Amino acid sequence: MVRSAIAAVSRLRLPVALFLALLVSGCGVNNIPSYEEQAKAKWSEVQNQYQRRADLIPNLVETVRGYARQEREVLEAVTNARARATAIQVTPEVVNDPEAFKRFQEAQAQLSTALGRLLAVSERYPDLKSNQNFLALQAQLEGTENRIAVARRDYIEAVRAYNTELRTFPGVIWASTLYRNQKPMETFTVAEDVRRPPTVKF
Amino acid sequence: MARLAMPAKRCGLVWPLLLVMIFASAALAQTLTFPALTGRVVDDAGILDAATRAILTEKLAALEAKTTDQLVVATVKSLQGTSVEDYGNRLFRAWRLGQAGKNNGVLLLVAPNERKVRIEVGYGLEGTLPDAVGKLIIENGILPRFRANDFSGGITRGVDDVIQVLTSEADAADWKQRAAQRPEHNAPPNAFVIFLALVVVMLIITKLLNYALPRAARRAGLNWWVAPGASGWSSGSSGSSWSSSDSGGFSGGGGDSGGGGASGSW
Repeated sequence: MVRSAIAAVSRLRLPVALFLALLVSGCGVNNIPSYEEQAKAKWSEVQNQYQRRADLIPNLVETVRGYARQEREVLEAVTNARARATAIQVTPEVVNDPEAFKRFQEAQAQLSTALGRLLAVSERYPDLKSNQNFLALQAQLEGTENRIAVARRDYIEAVRAYNTELRTFPGVIWASTLYRNQKPMETFTVAEDVRRPPTVKF
Repeated sequence: MARLAMPAKRCGLVWPLLLVMIFASAALAQTLTFPALTGRVVDDAGILDAATRAILTEKLAALEAKTTDQLVVATVKSLQGTSVEDYGNRLFRAWRLGQAGKNNGVLLLVAPNERKVRIEVGYGLEGTLPDAVGKLIIENGILPRFRANDFSGGITRGVDDVIQVLTSEADAADWKQRAAQRPEHNAPPNAFVIFLALVVVMLIITKLLNYALPRAARRAGLNWWVAPGASGWSSGSSGSSWSSSDSGGFSGGGGDSGGGGASGSW
């Protein structure tokens, strides 16, 4: 009785082990889509924060113009850079398209530079610097720049996890069978990432 | 990071991937080290006297009891080469301040050697404590005292101001609404679904095997592999939840921050 039971168990051990192995390796099957969704969510947060910055700019430009009308050049540079940045259509495909991603990144970087110059210039106007509206806008802008930095960092991290999953075992099995259309995602370059947000002094 | 690795943790055969991720994250995190969250006031730089620490801790505990907001004061010896914004956000996330789902944490970070201060605000409190308000608290309440080398006074004033903003009646309703609106983003439901599916599949397999096998083998306890298997999996699915109500000790509630808040220097 006992002996036959043991025999039955040992006969079964191999198929059971094989089956378990299949099950266990099978659970990587959801990783690629779920990492992709996570990366996409982080990307929309990046876009959100860039959009928020773009929304703050007209108000900021108007406030500065009220005190520093003669800084026409700097003000126009910001307005133009904002127009260029917002003109870029950001479709979900941008993250898979190196060219489009580069355009987006460069437009935003130009806007950052123009903004930095505007804030530097406004240092010269004591009346402007003590304007309550300007102070609030500055704080918001500073906060938004910082949120952009965090959102970019999170996006870079999510894309790294997704791209790694596409290329490493067992993800690479699923990438070459079930998810053949999944492409690696573009990410921000490091050089831009270490760029400090414009600092604002009160 | 841990959240991203979560689905992989359930699988025995994805160790290579997991290791890659651990090493990669270690490489990223390696540049910064954080003090341990030993209490509501972590005075790593040693600029607060014991009496002030005790008073602050009491105030902060009272705030959490009243609103569940977790406000934590940290002073650090060094920002380790990064900006106060970056360090503040990473420290906030490492400590997971605020309740999970509400993300209602606030971190008041002081780096006396770099002469920097930051108020880092969790997602859920960005509406109650907007950047501009945080900036005002820093500029008007904290920095004048720091400039006079009065760290205890500056930090106490900053904490009082933040508490006042967080507990003002009109805003209280507002933050509740906002906290409720803010969905718990990137929660890992997949792992649990996978786990459930596995359990169901295993149960079906068990049934089939039981029918297919001779009675004798079944009576001798062929089900041996199901029970331990199931319990093994279930223990794997815990561990992602944190609790802030540990007896005596204090820990972060699982909140997150996206870089909200303000900073200043003196």
